[in-house]
Amino acid sequence: MKFKKVILASHGTAGARAAEQYALDLCLETGAGLHQLLVVPDFWKGMMGDDWLNNSVTQSRFGDYVESQLAREAADELDRLTKTCEEAGASFTNTVRLGKPAAILADQVEKGGFDLAVIGSPRPKGVAGYRSRMDLEMLTRTLNIPLIIVPYPIL
Amino acid sequence: MVYTKKHPALLIMGIIFVAIAYLTESGGMSSMVDYLKAGKYAGEMVGMGYAFGAIAIIVGLWHLVGSHSEGNLDYYLSAVAGAIFILLLAMLVRWYLAPLVAVISKGLGPVMGAKYLHEVLGLNYVVLGILAGIITVNVFRIPVWAENGVRLSRLGLKTGVILLGTLYSLAELQSLGKLSAIMVGFFVLGSVGLVLFLGKRRNIPSSMGGVLSAGMGVCGVSATVAAAPVVQAKAVEIAYTIGTILIWGVGCMFLFPVVGHMLDLGYIQFGAWAGTGILNSAQVAGAALAYQPDGIETLKVAEIFNITRVLFLPLIVLWLAVWYVKQEGGDDTQKVNVGRVVFEKFPVFVLGFILMFAFSSTGVFAPAQHYKGKYFDNNVKESKLLSDEQVAMVSAEAGKLQRNDRKQAINTMLENRKIMSIDDETLIRGIYNAKIMSKDASKVLKGATKAVRHTAKKISAFRQWITLLFAFGLTGLGMQITFASMKQAGGQPLVIGGVVGTVKAVLSLIVIVLFVKETI
Repeated sequence: MKFKKVILASHGTAGARAAEQYALDLCLETGAGLHQLLVVPDFWKGMMGDDWLNNSVTQSRFGDYVESQLAREAADELDRLTKTCEEAGASFTNTVRLGKPAAILADQVEKGGFDLAVIGSPRPKGVAGYRSRMDLEMLTRTLNIPLIIVPYPIL
Repeated sequence: MVYTKKHPALLIMGIIFVAIAYLTESGGMSSMVDYLKAGKYAGEMVGMGYAFGAIAIIVGLWHLVGSHSEGNLDYYLSAVAGAIFILLLAMLVRWYLAPLVAVISKGLGPVMGAKYLHEVLGLNYVVLGILAGIITVNVFRIPVWAENGVRLSRLGLKTGVILLGTLYSLAELQSLGKLSAIMVGFFVLGSVGLVLFLGKRRNIPSSMGGVLSAGMGVCGVSATVAAAPVVQAKAVEIAYTIGTILIWGVGCMFLFPVVGHMLDLGYIQFGAWAGTGILNSAQVAGAALAYQPDGIETLKVAEIFNITRVLFLPLIVLWLAVWYVKQEGGDDTQKVNVGRVVFEKFPVFVLGFILMFAFSSTGVFAPAQHYKGKYFDNNVKESKLLSDEQVAMVSAEAGKLQRNDRKQAINTMLENRKIMSIDDETLIRGIYNAKIMSKDASKVLKGATKAVRHTAKKISAFRQWITLLFAFGLTGLGMQITFASMKQAGGQPLVIGGVVGTVKAVLSLIVIVLFVKETI
């Protein structure tokens, strides 16, 4: 099969990195461009929980701090894959968005220009990380392009 | 940015409030109110219905047909929709849902001694309000037009705490203050130390240990929010910690009242236990009101503990800042700005609480020397004087008294058939609290003290407002607890948090049962 542009949903976990490698190999093999979509999960909007004791200065300092942490994590991820793609000689672009991973991926695909989506498998139980998984049912019902789910690497 | 949304929701909510008020006043809902045994809320339904209904209709019309532009007016008026949304939900729960749950529960019969299921589980308007809030945000989501106002729930709670200052006597505040400083001091420092110790044993990063110890030790999510930037916690560590604390907090809010009823804890004991053992400060208030929905004695104790905890917050954040810098090999004198940390984290609303207490002590709200908001006045009606039978019962047991001052107080009361002075009342209260006489005689003494204590009108109004503000605030806070954030609980914080949270809850319960008396 020939692909022009592959969208890869990745946020740096072991499963996502396996998907990255697969997508990159595929792009190099077919000459397709690789687009990384990094979704910052929207559960962060509710992460101030039911705090009511702090004043607005403390709350806004916390909000700014979390935002800067997430921005730094996202930047590190994008830099890492950019470097890998540059070294491999693949064409690479990226997008960072806030929301639910599956809904954002579906929306990004709908905006057009992609002919394959690649994602990693959910991490096994007991492996550390955010509880923010791809809603596969929603994704498979919505996507109008082929979807590849790369198996979780055997560690 | 323009915050006001052109939406009819506020107008509709205003009409609902007015409809409730009108139907209650005209008797149109009397059969339902009778069935729910919610007659005691009829005054609220009418008064609040008309008052808040009118506000909602006027501002709702402005939202719908007015032209809105950026500015303070737009910002503040846009918040009315969210505030009325919380209020309507809280009041529907208070007036109808909680009474309905009570009716169903009573239909099932007693489940623990003479207590019904809803009493044991604390399923009253406060807990149901928090649950309604949680369901609203997780199932239906907060409507866009209400988002800005939902944050006002924090203001409601802080105002409730400030008003609570009017209900304490100096003696009460001294006793509770001492007790809370000892309990909170020991358990806060103990929990922080235990988390840091366990963290080191399990090789977690300093930043994770720091943020988790603040959350587990001081006041839950609030402490996590305050400490996270100071110890430079990573995003995933914050997510784990807040998720763990929220799950614990919500779980404890349901579990603590059940255990409290099983052990038949008094209001002071339960308030002290909830104030020490529950991690998250919002759920401390929730559990206290769940335990005693028709009075605020438990809440008064629990909130003193909450205030003590929050006063510890700047100190703990400072400690963690210095500790973190040392762990990371830095020079703490250069990196930690002590003044800024203490100034920024100091809870200003506590000053409001102290101010209201000071006002109250001057006799502005109730005659001076009031006790728990009640003042002494022995001009009682003939019907409230002790009967011959009651006089005979107490006389027969007067011989059990050893102290002369107590004997004298009882004799004076029996001669006059009522208590004659504040000092006598204090002594007689001591007699029944010490359970020197039989249950029946103690009941007579309790009745005699009750007859000479009167609640000032302003204090009654404050009690009513405090209850409503807490119902409003906690329902609104429920709207900010998302399942997605609770789901983040995991990793080492869940393990360490589970161990420390359990140890703290169990140990504090043992200490309270053994050493805290049910009198102040």
